[in-house]
Amino acid sequence: MFIYKKMMFGTYLTGQFGQSQDIYRVRNEAKRGRGSEALVMEQIKKDTQQIINLQKNAGLDFIIDPMFHFFYLFQPFSENVAGVEIGPQENWFNNNVFYWRPQINGPLDIQTGFTEKYLHLDELPKDGTAMVVLPSPYSLLVLSDITGYSNKKAAVTNLAEVLYAEAKYLVSKGIGRVQYDEPAIVVKQSLGSLTEEDLHLLRRGMEICGNVDGATTSLHTYFGNAGPIIPYLSSLPVDCIGIDGTETNMADIIKHDYSGKELALGLLDARNTSLENPQEIAEQLKRVAKKTSPVKLWLTPNTGTEYRGFTHGTKKLELLAKVRNILYE
Amino acid sequence: MNKLFPVYEIGSLPKLNARVKAARGQLVTKKEINQVKSLSKRFSVESNQIVEILERQKKEKRKPTQEDVEALVDFNALLYIKLQESAGLDFVYDGEARRAEMYQQVTGKIDGFETTPEMIRSRGPDSWRMAVCINEPKLKYKSLDGLITKEFNFVNLHATKAVKVPIDDPYMIAVMSDNRHYLEALKSQYEKNPSKLRYEAKRAFTLALANNVIRPQVESVVKKGAKWIQLDIPAATLDIEHIPIMVEGVNAVVNGINNIKFSLHICYPRRISLTDKSGYELLFPAILNLNPNINHISLELANADQYENDLAVFAQYKNQRQFELGVGVVDITLEQQQRGKIETPEVVKNRILRAAETLGNSELVYVAPDCGLRQLKLDRCLRLYKIMIEGARLARS
Repeated sequence: MFIYKKMMFGTYLTGQFGQSQDIYRVRNEAKRGRGSEALVMEQIKKDTQQIINLQKNAGLDFIIDPMFHFFYLFQPFSENVAGVEIGPQENWFNNNVFYWRPQINGPLDIQTGFTEKYLHLDELPKDGTAMVVLPSPYSLLVLSDITGYSNKKAAVTNLAEVLYAEAKYLVSKGIGRVQYDEPAIVVKQSLGSLTEEDLHLLRRGMEICGNVDGATTSLHTYFGNAGPIIPYLSSLPVDCIGIDGTETNMADIIKHDYSGKELALGLLDARNTSLENPQEIAEQLKRVAKKTSPVKLWLTPNTGTEYRGFTHGTKKLELLAKVRNILYE
Repeated sequence: MNKLFPVYEIGSLPKLNARVKAARGQLVTKKEINQVKSLSKRFSVESNQIVEILERQKKEKRKPTQEDVEALVDFNALLYIKLQESAGLDFVYDGEARRAEMYQQVTGKIDGFETTPEMIRSRGPDSWRMAVCINEPKLKYKSLDGLITKEFNFVNLHATKAVKVPIDDPYMIAVMSDNRHYLEALKSQYEKNPSKLRYEAKRAFTLALANNVIRPQVESVVKKGAKWIQLDIPAATLDIEHIPIMVEGVNAVVNGINNIKFSLHICYPRRISLTDKSGYELLFPAILNLNPNINHISLELANADQYENDLAVFAQYKNQRQFELGVGVVDITLEQQQRGKIETPEVVKNRILRAAETLGNSELVYVAPDCGLRQLKLDRCLRLYKIMIEGARLARS
């Protein structure tokens, strides 16, 4: 029992939370000219406070804004950073959810605060446990249309500088943890299209934005099998690596040593309404802890719970708390 | 069809406000009633009974009778058939006037499904009511009539032009739903291979939908005289590794049903796929295995406006498999409407000719919008029809 406490096992949410029917309703009314944006803002604030309280009550170790103002991860960047325009719509990986491709005409000037109006920083704790989610520079690069750079390395360098400045800005506002979302690298790995260049580009990006004074950082991968590139991910200059445990075979996860790194395991499938057995999840975590020696071991959903809505998101959140309680019993 | 560049609609039109509000028992405005009067006059559809119902609904909120609702829906469906015929479309349907929404219309009639408590966000604020598969999906008892047969019979009775029947594809329903049942059923079998588990679970789900839910609809309308059936499958390229499942699902629906024209409607392919292929290239070579009865595919092309790139792959494979293509020539997104942008007939003409040139065969080209029009205002839909028809005429000349 002692070993789990000592290694500071913990839990947190990793992305946008499922919308409530109330948010859907006020947005739909506004869209059809029967409501107002003010009512949308009011409802989002109310739901944000509720989800923040649920996280606190569940004993989660990091607390995130549920990101109800986001329609897609890149939205604050695309809508507010000079030199970026909003391009055509595109599926967000294999989900029936869309994003709009950023049209980046670089190099971009360093500009900060572009995420602020999408977050409720004033509602988040000020004790270093508040976490924000930003795109990883590599995923932003490969999911955008890029012009104006001499090559991809120059582009990822510039994007990482912009993201790093934003991360520092958010830390100055009280954020203690920065999670960079990195689905593209593991999706490419799964599809067999990953190249050495991709690995260099991600490394280059993380060398610039991976260490942020005053905060810990995580590179969170999802939607793909991280198994074959776990040693590479572990070598990147971030405090924590996140692995999608619903896509990556557990045998591939536990055969590596994570000494010196935190490990966030997305063992709860946010894209499936099935509820995992908390006892089984706890047993899996015990095995991982015993075999892989991470600095800290986190249990998370594999991705945001937006894909199954508010009720199912809440159930996954409750599950995080249940597993935590089992391990700390 | 002998005519060059025939024009058709993909499926949906926005429902009449007056009809929606009256059917919900809400107050209807004078302006909305006037719209009904004006449209009925313009397209020569009798509306006295409907106006009477609406006038009552203008005076007080009242729950309409079942007969009133049916009259409203019939009127809306008939109006849209006549509106499409009058606009000059070569193939028509009823604008899906009877369907609440393409996905929900079907999932609501399936045993083995429940729904998520909340709407799931998809595209900006747009959301859908996700179905959760908790058991083998089967059509509910006696649901076929309300689902498709009555709708088709009505169109078949009233249409004077050729009819194309839009029906949901099984893979599309599988992709938009939560596959709890099959993931749980196959979990122990593929526990150590998560990607294989997802593949096999989706395959089992798709084939169950194909055999139990979609094929009965197809058989029903074929029996009643349908000549052209379009399977709607916007999400065909969503999961790059699962495209063979889509093909298998389509084949399970159409195998052995001969002397009928079948087509697929596909839109918004993964243009950033993170592989060496993108867009409609992703469909190949898998779609070479489609049942030979599938000889036509309609595609979204105007939104991306890269006809040469998007269609090159169809030209590349033409010696192995040649499809007629319904070329999307007008962008149907809400953003275009909000920006006040719309194509001109000249733009449409050029798009048709670009497609024909890329394919190297004008006879393969049909003309269509990118997708259904239900998100747009009806006035805009009518303008788009006019622009498509005129653009096709210019392209022919």
